[in-house]
Amino acid sequence: MSIMKLLAEKTGGESFRSRKYDLDRYNLEHVRERASSERVEIQAGFVRECGETEARARHIDLTSMSRQWLASGAQRLTFFLDGSRRVFKVDDIDYGSGGRKNFYPVIAGQVGIGCCRRLGRRIVPERFERNFLLVLPSKANADWINGFWSARTKELNELESLRRLNIKFEEILHYRKSESEESFEDQAIAQVMSFMNAREQAMVARLVREGKLDQKNYLVKDGSLEYLPLEKTDRKTATRLKNNYLRVIGVSKSFNPNNCLDAHQRLDQSVVADLPLHHRTVARRLEFKNMQFAVWYVRLRDKRQTRTPFDGVIKVEKMLVDEAPADSDELDMLSALLINERNPVCYGSDPRWANHIYPIYLTEAFVKSKYIGTESFLQLF
Amino acid sequence: MKRKPIGRVIATERTPTTIDRFQFWTNAEEKLRAFDVVKVEHIDGSFSYGVVENISHITDAQSFLTGFISSDFGNPELEAPTLRFGMNYAEASVSFNDRAIETPVLNNAAVFRAERDEILFALGLDRVQNPIACGALKMYAGTPDEINLPVRFNSKFVLGPEGAHLNISGISGLASKTSYAMFLLKSIQDRYLDARSDETCAFVIFNVKGRDLMALHRADESDAEVQKEYRALGLRPKPFERVKYFVPFPSGTYLSRDDREDYEREGLLTRFKYTYEDDRESLEMLFADVDDPTQTMESIIGKVIDENDPNFGVINSWGEFLEELDELSQKSSARSSNEISVLSWRKFKRIINKAIRKDSMFAERVVDNQNECRLASALKTISPNDVFVIDIAKLSTDKQAFVFGDAVKTIHNLKLGDYDDEGVKPPSKIIIFIDELNKYASKDTPKSSPILRLILDVTERGRSLGVILFGAEQFRSNIHARVTGNCSTHAYGRTSALETNAPDYRMLPSTYKNMLTRLEQGEYLIQNPIFRSLLRIKFPRPIYKQFND
Repeated sequence: MSIMKLLAEKTGGESFRSRKYDLDRYNLEHVRERASSERVEIQAGFVRECGETEARARHIDLTSMSRQWLASGAQRLTFFLDGSRRVFKVDDIDYGSGGRKNFYPVIAGQVGIGCCRRLGRRIVPERFERNFLLVLPSKANADWINGFWSARTKELNELESLRRLNIKFEEILHYRKSESEESFEDQAIAQVMSFMNAREQAMVARLVREGKLDQKNYLVKDGSLEYLPLEKTDRKTATRLKNNYLRVIGVSKSFNPNNCLDAHQRLDQSVVADLPLHHRTVARRLEFKNMQFAVWYVRLRDKRQTRTPFDGVIKVEKMLVDEAPADSDELDMLSALLINERNPVCYGSDPRWANHIYPIYLTEAFVKSKYIGTESFLQLF
Repeated sequence: MKRKPIGRVIATERTPTTIDRFQFWTNAEEKLRAFDVVKVEHIDGSFSYGVVENISHITDAQSFLTGFISSDFGNPELEAPTLRFGMNYAEASVSFNDRAIETPVLNNAAVFRAERDEILFALGLDRVQNPIACGALKMYAGTPDEINLPVRFNSKFVLGPEGAHLNISGISGLASKTSYAMFLLKSIQDRYLDARSDETCAFVIFNVKGRDLMALHRADESDAEVQKEYRALGLRPKPFERVKYFVPFPSGTYLSRDDREDYEREGLLTRFKYTYEDDRESLEMLFADVDDPTQTMESIIGKVIDENDPNFGVINSWGEFLEELDELSQKSSARSSNEISVLSWRKFKRIINKAIRKDSMFAERVVDNQNECRLASALKTISPNDVFVIDIAKLSTDKQAFVFGDAVKTIHNLKLGDYDDEGVKPPSKIIIFIDELNKYASKDTPKSSPILRLILDVTERGRSLGVILFGAEQFRSNIHARVTGNCSTHAYGRTSALETNAPDYRMLPSTYKNMLTRLEQGEYLIQNPIFRSLLRIKFPRPIYKQFND
């Protein structure tokens, strides 16, 4: 029995057997950046504009510090984390009633979370997990039965075709019809993304539990840290989650220049566009869904050697665990080390090379190498 | 204890593994060389063995620009905190599978270094019958698994009857062709000295350079290391035995007077002459390099050796012969033949005079009790394990050809049984070593050359006759195709890129061709029917005395 036949049977729907295809036409950062409009800046405690302890009006020159770190050979950026997903439309399923037909897309995904570590000057795998997911409309659970989704997942995994291939689906997620203008596909992808974010957090938590993150061993996460869903979490859990991110920074390759603020909290793109080489901006304090971050920008490359003035700049985030501003010395150190990670480059392999740091690129490549090929995956359905 | 794998087979859509070839990745630090043997896990519990042909190092850099940009746009002193991701991948040719499974090795199969016995098996070096040491090979150099192995030919595939003749090529001064040939001859003599069989062997060597091969019976003051190498190969660390030297009369050799007298006193050296009566039939050898499209020279030679010829049938000495030529070269001579023009006679005379006149090697008679001989007569008496060194170094080119051609003809006829009624009993095999083979058997040698015809006959029929040719030259591409084509064994020494681009090297993989331009002195790539692949071997320095000329 095929996967879609089983699901249709167990959920009372009708599989349309529509064309299967790769849904990755959506830019990951695009989905995340849409959420950035919800960020609200608040005034800091004793420093009105800054998210760090030293209030500096202008950008900070890290050229000399980065050279010293490079010459010493010492390192603090030890772990590199990347999560990625591939999503596919595998069918349309009819959950109409009363003689009406209502088709909903069925989305399948592979989520990979990879962590690599630095050993000397080499990057080696530290940990990897891969999960297979399905996303159905919430309508599939016609009677709102508790445990419906886990039961369907269990039935799915008992299919002989999957057992033979040693493939196990982790979860069947669901999306509901929303009032926003987002398509069902987007909503389904958002569910996959949430799952991915949760798995990334779990991996960070594990590294912390194993004592691998400390003041000499930081974790660099690819992308923003603005995904922890703390607004509905109890205080104790929230504190624990935040503490996990004490030695974690998020490095984003792309960002919305319209969110760049000057010292007076006015929108000013030149803060980043005119940032000199190997300098960083002053860290701003930002609040997002009950979390506070220090956010700053670092220029890795001379803008004369990039296509736009924003190429060669990375956005760095650090969670403010106890809401106190971030230590400026720590931010300088992390920024200097990030500057040194500008080489080697992945020029020719990735158009984002100017903003990509190589260990993250390798971690990304490591995760992507573990996916099942598109054709093979689609044939499962 | 099972060894750890050194890599895994990789088969891609564009580069699949095949019956003949496979590729595998290794760590960038893994030390492997061309010609190393690797072992691969295959189906049904079998193992396939391959010989490494090429090793490449690749990274994820898409172009040279990537590397340039990675150094901050051209700062060579910059050291990045992270090494670029890279690996080595090796290409290997399949040698064989221990269960005769021919299907390609599978993707991700583990690759190991082989054990000693496995290497011997993989290369076809185990259970070699009738072994003759031909050098030693080294596997996995520079690693804890380094192995040194002696390499042996099966004599039946070098000296016949299964296969015969050897060709050695390489640049002069760098490839040590003569040294390698002499090492092989020494190895063969050792084997036949020890052998208790009816099969016997003798050696005829031409010394063409200085005093190179004029002290084969004398020990070198070789260091202990060289002697150890000989022992490791199962050879006696002693010079040749039963050596005899033949030099042109009266003293056509570069040996010092003292050495010459010492050798004569020890009965090792004889001076050879040619008499008209017995050796005029070899006159054609003087014309080996002469273009003779109208076969005029051949006609004249035919007349000269014809016992019934009115001009030459009554001549008994070189003097009379030269006089007769003078006569026939006169324009107004009444005795000149209508078939052969005066101009042709003059040409013939010119060539003969250059070689023979005023050269006492062409004598009226041989005085036996003064240590003189006819070379052909001496060759007829060659016995098992004899090493005859014929010194032609000091002769002019045409006389070298004469002596060489006469000697090879004699040996050929000896093995054909032409002299059986004289009571001679030659050894089963006679090996002739010719250095600078290009002088006699190049692609440019006139087809009418009697020496070329002789060499072709030797290479084509010698295997069954028991006449074995060991030839050496600088440029193999210059040698007649039928000569090299009939050699069962080929030794490639250091040579130039120009040479390796010649069609003769077409069958070598490009890595091996490039390697030929970098081989060290004392290293050869050897090809032989019993070896499953080309082998890279090293041989020890000569154990006999070498003059510092």
